[in-house]
Amino acid sequence: MAQENSGQMTSEPLLAAWIKWTMDFWDSMAQMGPGLAGAGRSGAQASGKTAVSADPWLASLNLWQAFFSLLTEPGTVTAVFQGIQAPSKIILRMAQAGWGGYFYLHRQWLEGWQGGGSPPANHGYENLDQEIYQTCNEILEYDFRRLLNLPHLGLTGLPPERVTRATEKFSHFQAAMAEFIYLLYLPVKKSLRTMGAEWMNGGPEKPPEDFKEYYKKWLKILEGHYMTLFQSAEYTRTLTHTLHALEDFTTAKQELLDEAMAALGLPSRREMDDLYREIYLLKKTTKQLAQKIGRTEPSREED
Amino acid sequence: MDRPKIPVDLILAKLAADAEAAKHRLERARDIFHGPLATDIGTTPYELVYQEDRVRLKYYRPDAARLKTPLLLVHGLFNRETLLDLQPGRSVVHNLLKEGTEVYLIDWGSPTRRDQFLTLDDHINGYLDDIVEFIRRRHGVPKVNLMGVCLGGTFAVIYAALHPEKIRNLITTATPTHFNTPKGLLHIWMQEIDVDRLVNAFGNLPGNLVNAAFLLLNPPRLLLDKYMGFLENMDNKDFVENFIRMEKWIFDSPDVPGETLRQVVKDLYQDNLLVQGKMKLEGRRVDLGQVTMPLLNIYGQYDHLVPPEACEVLTTKVGSRDTENVCLDTGHVGIYVSSRFQRETVPQIAAWLLAREG
Repeated sequence: MAQENSGQMTSEPLLAAWIKWTMDFWDSMAQMGPGLAGAGRSGAQASGKTAVSADPWLASLNLWQAFFSLLTEPGTVTAVFQGIQAPSKIILRMAQAGWGGYFYLHRQWLEGWQGGGSPPANHGYENLDQEIYQTCNEILEYDFRRLLNLPHLGLTGLPPERVTRATEKFSHFQAAMAEFIYLLYLPVKKSLRTMGAEWMNGGPEKPPEDFKEYYKKWLKILEGHYMTLFQSAEYTRTLTHTLHALEDFTTAKQELLDEAMAALGLPSRREMDDLYREIYLLKKTTKQLAQKIGRTEPSREED
Repeated sequence: MDRPKIPVDLILAKLAADAEAAKHRLERARDIFHGPLATDIGTTPYELVYQEDRVRLKYYRPDAARLKTPLLLVHGLFNRETLLDLQPGRSVVHNLLKEGTEVYLIDWGSPTRRDQFLTLDDHINGYLDDIVEFIRRRHGVPKVNLMGVCLGGTFAVIYAALHPEKIRNLITTATPTHFNTPKGLLHIWMQEIDVDRLVNAFGNLPGNLVNAAFLLLNPPRLLLDKYMGFLENMDNKDFVENFIRMEKWIFDSPDVPGETLRQVVKDLYQDNLLVQGKMKLEGRRVDLGQVTMPLLNIYGQYDHLVPPEACEVLTTKVGSRDTENVCLDTGHVGIYVSSRFQRETVPQIAAWLLAREG
């Protein structure tokens, strides 16, 4: 017993100091984070709004800090140590719970330096911040495309044109897909923010003691956000745009392959499709004629 | 008043205990994964009795037939028919056999590019009608019983309207007939889809695109929670086997013939022609008033793919006076794989058919 008390006496201040140091560190990181340090990087930021990449940054930071502030509440550390014999174990457990958030923050921090667009006025999907994707599309449209848009010169002009077209359509598809995936990520962000707010503000009822209860609650919130997203005009627009980009890329890729197959003396897909259509129509006509003269279709009856 | 404090210490302690349990679970799961696993689907014995192009007909013989009229099951084109025979003990086909029903099941096969020009008419007045003719000849009966599953049910309804003289009883399960409803996400998305562009680009609708679309209907459940459940139960051999069977079925969507898809999206989802009596197949109008045979319409209350609103209107549109709506307390796939459906609804279907043998 004496040993346990002794362990608490030595570990608790150490842990508290570490927590304080960590909070100070992330506080200073927040000051340097995206959208806060770079005043004047864009008009939107200058007008007091945060950048799109700063939004999850702040939400995550709040969640992180809420977690740490809970740990520093009087009695929490003591309670933790009462439940666990070895102080090293609690560090390990906290690290397990915290690494996910740490890596997430780290990623958000790095993304922050890559620049961002202006944020939504509120968090409705209809006002989704598209600037980063618009910028990406503009780069593709006005710079990348121009670079690839070589003039059709001489006999060898056509294949490079097909390659260029397929490359361009592939890039467009990638950009559209990135936007679509970002949209799919938004409910995750929103649900984490909701959970974070609940964690910080609490409610009248007793908080659950099992992590799974939090998971279930989060999942329910997440599901609700997805349902809202999926019924929004923004989602339909982005989904349609992504599908169109995929269709365009598929067509461009096929044209390129057709070109290559023609060069190898092989029938192209278009030629095969024409053949399939002819066979289909011939079979249909044959069947109709067979029915007219009272003969059954020559299908395989295996009994 | 102070807000209740979140018990971080207890949460962390529970997490640590869970991590220990997970480690032991993993050890037991390793033995299961390294051992033999029975994950085959569609294992109820059958005879392949008819084939036309890619379409095959499976015949399941009961030990003792109680019904004179054989039952033809029609599945949709977007998934495999093996849903109806997914696992021993939870097989619709097997339980229908136990009730003394002779069962035929259409396997639509795997469409390739050569099938891209096949229309709804080819499927309904072609393959389906040829199969019905085959069964009538084989059993020497004037009519067969027809049961449709999901979009296969829509095919069955259209067929029954065009060929009422060949159908004794009609059963529809999770069958959309009223497509203009904002309730199901699929219905909402289908309104916006440019199907001409899609078909022109792909020829057939790729099965993987269908798989992705189904996953997007509920990502938290289908991409996350389902696998969390798997991780928690991976030391349970029965659970693992059934989970893998379901995964096999879910991710085995065949390609859908392009021209058929074009008609399904335009005529059904976007223009909702069927319930308005305006739909035409090769110039023939599909008049639901011609569906004069008894109709049993089964659907799920929590079906996110085909909501009740898309199903229940059918009984008010058909010409039959013997109609019944049965709303089950389950979702789309649950209709076919839930133990309650196997235990209660399959015998109910058999009894309903027996009472109308004529």
